[in-house]
Amino acid sequence: MNIAYSTELICFLILSAVIISGSLAVVLLENIVYSAFLLGGVFMAVAGLYLLLNASFVAAAQILVYVGAVNVLILFAIMLVNKKEKLKPIEGLRTRKLISGGVCGGLLILLLRVSIITQWNLPGPSSIGEEATERIGEHLFTDYLLPFELASILLLMAMIGAIVLARRDVSIPRDDINNNNNKKSLSDKKIPLLSENSLK
Amino acid sequence: MNSGIDLEMSFTQGVQNLGLSHELAHLLWIPLPMLLVLVSAVIGVLVTVWLERKISAAAQQRIGPEYAGALGILQPMADGLKLLVKEDIIPARADSVLFTVGPILVLVPVILSWLIVPFGQNLLISNVGIGIFLWIALSSIQPIGLLMSGYSSNNKYSLLGGLRAAAQSISYEIPLALAVLAIVMMSNSLSTVDIVEQQNTAGFLSWNIWRQPVGFIIFWICALAECERLPFDLPEAEEELVAGYQTEYAGMKFALFYLAGYINLVLSALLVSVLYLGGWGFPISIDWFSSLIGLSIDNPLVQIMAGSIGIVMTILKAYLLVFLAILLRWTTPRVRIDQLLDLGWKFLLPISLVNLLVTASLKLAFPMTFGG
Amino acid sequence: MSNVNEAAGSKFNMLGFLEKVADYTKEAVSAAKYLVDGLGVTFDHMRRRPVTVQYPYEKLIPSERYRGRIHYEFDKCIACEVCVRVCPINLPVVDWVMNKETKKKELRNYSIDFGACIFCGNCVEYCPTNCLSMTEEYELAAFDRHSLNYDNVALGRLPTSVTSDPSVRPLRELAYLPDGIMDPHELPAKQKRAGKLPSQIIKELQVKKSQEDEDNNSSEMVPNNLNSTN
Repeated sequence: MNIAYSTELICFLILSAVIISGSLAVVLLENIVYSAFLLGGVFMAVAGLYLLLNASFVAAAQILVYVGAVNVLILFAIMLVNKKEKLKPIEGLRTRKLISGGVCGGLLILLLRVSIITQWNLPGPSSIGEEATERIGEHLFTDYLLPFELASILLLMAMIGAIVLARRDVSIPRDDINNNNNKKSLSDKKIPLLSENSLK
Repeated sequence: MNSGIDLEMSFTQGVQNLGLSHELAHLLWIPLPMLLVLVSAVIGVLVTVWLERKISAAAQQRIGPEYAGALGILQPMADGLKLLVKEDIIPARADSVLFTVGPILVLVPVILSWLIVPFGQNLLISNVGIGIFLWIALSSIQPIGLLMSGYSSNNKYSLLGGLRAAAQSISYEIPLALAVLAIVMMSNSLSTVDIVEQQNTAGFLSWNIWRQPVGFIIFWICALAECERLPFDLPEAEEELVAGYQTEYAGMKFALFYLAGYINLVLSALLVSVLYLGGWGFPISIDWFSSLIGLSIDNPLVQIMAGSIGIVMTILKAYLLVFLAILLRWTTPRVRIDQLLDLGWKFLLPISLVNLLVTASLKLAFPMTFGG
Repeated sequence: MSNVNEAAGSKFNMLGFLEKVADYTKEAVSAAKYLVDGLGVTFDHMRRRPVTVQYPYEKLIPSERYRGRIHYEFDKCIACEVCVRVCPINLPVVDWVMNKETKKKELRNYSIDFGACIFCGNCVEYCPTNCLSMTEEYELAAFDRHSLNYDNVALGRLPTSVTSDPSVRPLRELAYLPDGIMDPHELPAKQKRAGKLPSQIIKELQVKKSQEDEDNNSSEMVPNNLNSTN
């Protein structure tokens, strides 16, 4: 066993331990802020796994997108609405927990079975290292162009949706709509983002 | 292109000659450049702090630190020592775990980013292929640390400061990345070494700043915002938020924030010099110089000289930019939070997108000058 | 009809949009210009000499009418207590007893607490025998606030003047510098201040007044001449 292999193994074990315990804690912890921070840790550990697989571009992208954007937004949302209020006790919580635990356990068993049954051809294809960045770009703009563009459209839609939601509902007095003279000018009128009604 | 001096090769060779295996020699080599960079980053911070205090004083017609060493050179050391021995206070109702992890999470990515700063052909820790992208990805971890320390301090000013810092760094990351993307497009590589080499074909005139003036300005503004320097120091605006997310911190934990801020400033300045000002490039080429003194380019003396010129040039360019940042600090008033976000989203983002498009079309039109 | 309107509207909007873009660009350019101007100002300041007065080694010379620590002469005091009455907080403590035989006040102690004094100078102004006066001493820091309560002995001490202290480099204040010199460090010796001293102004005024008086007298003597010229 040479040094490189053993370091890799140790890193892998640490990272997997972090991922497994971290994701369990994300689900099981009561404190939602802790869960969110731990989620960031799990994302970073996954990026570490990518690094171990010589996929440095994917690792960096994982950090940039999941840690830098997704997780920060989650934290933002939590911190902006972090009200301390007593949640209503949910009826039959125990059975619900049991059911969801069962489903998760079933999925886990399924995955384990797949990973055991599948004939992995070891060692896998040799890593292409630094060339991977170019290869990913090539694939994104040739074979996977359609999914890539679809994903970007999906993201655009989500963005527009977020803007629409953030704008609040604008209520216009009924008289203005009924009044014929006003109909034309309505579109030109500057409607305040926060009308008086929505503030009340 | 000559390969320059390769310290790693010679070190591992030397250790192997002592009778150790190649792997062990490599293992022994790995911590050395890291330690060197850590030390140089800290020294860079000390110098920057001293410069900041002296230049700020000069801009305000004061004297600045004077008694600690000649011209107050030891003042930053004294500051650091003071912070080191100060009591480490955790507020009574703060979340002690997050309170401790926060500053570490702010500092570590910044130091990690030094991996990719090249001072010469082989004078960097690792020439990773994703180079500059690694820096962008790592700098996006920072807001989490800021949010963490802001939240765990159990203080409204800290929380507001943390939220502001995160919002600011998210909004300025996008134009920053787009400005970098234009550079990457021109040099066909994410690696910082390739980016510098591509600029050093014709000395001074082939620097990226002439081909990317708009990108340079965008990058510089965004870098200032990422470092939370004035005019973008809203997260710690003392008139409004006491000290933002640092309010409750004392002693070494505060020093970590302080260190992270200044290391980030030096790092940004270094990266600007790498991306736009030709990195280690010297206006006069080394080949010409070596032929002048009649030594071959492979002569160790010439190589050492070339290496030191490269280091000096990189640091000189970076510290010119640090000087500019300090001068800007005493020139510009702080922007309001809405002005900050307006500038980020309504000015820098569209401009950087246009810059990217123009660069792409220029690259198609003139592949010779804009890197085909 | 509506189509035409819309088309006109859109054209108008297009123009408006372009105008907006032009205005925005203009604003951005002017902002950049102002920024560069500002940087120039900051840069220019860097080569000026620091105005710092390095306090324990250099001190500013207090002005003539500086209101510092109060000086008190025990022998002149008649214990009238006017100083107490004019003081905003009745601060001076005048400790006297009535001597029945001579039917005169006999002063035993006098003290002012400089921890509470605001140096308004009312007591000095109203003192009938001029036993109170202002000094130029302002270094009144103490470790214990009770030690700021000066008795008649402490009040009677004269402060060391900044100009006579060999360990201190005295510096003139801005108003006392010669014309055109802004920095007290580079002052050539024995230069007169810009403008005149109050005593000089008073003297000049007196001279002027006496001249005017003379003029008036002479004009009264020849009123007819003036009238005739009219």
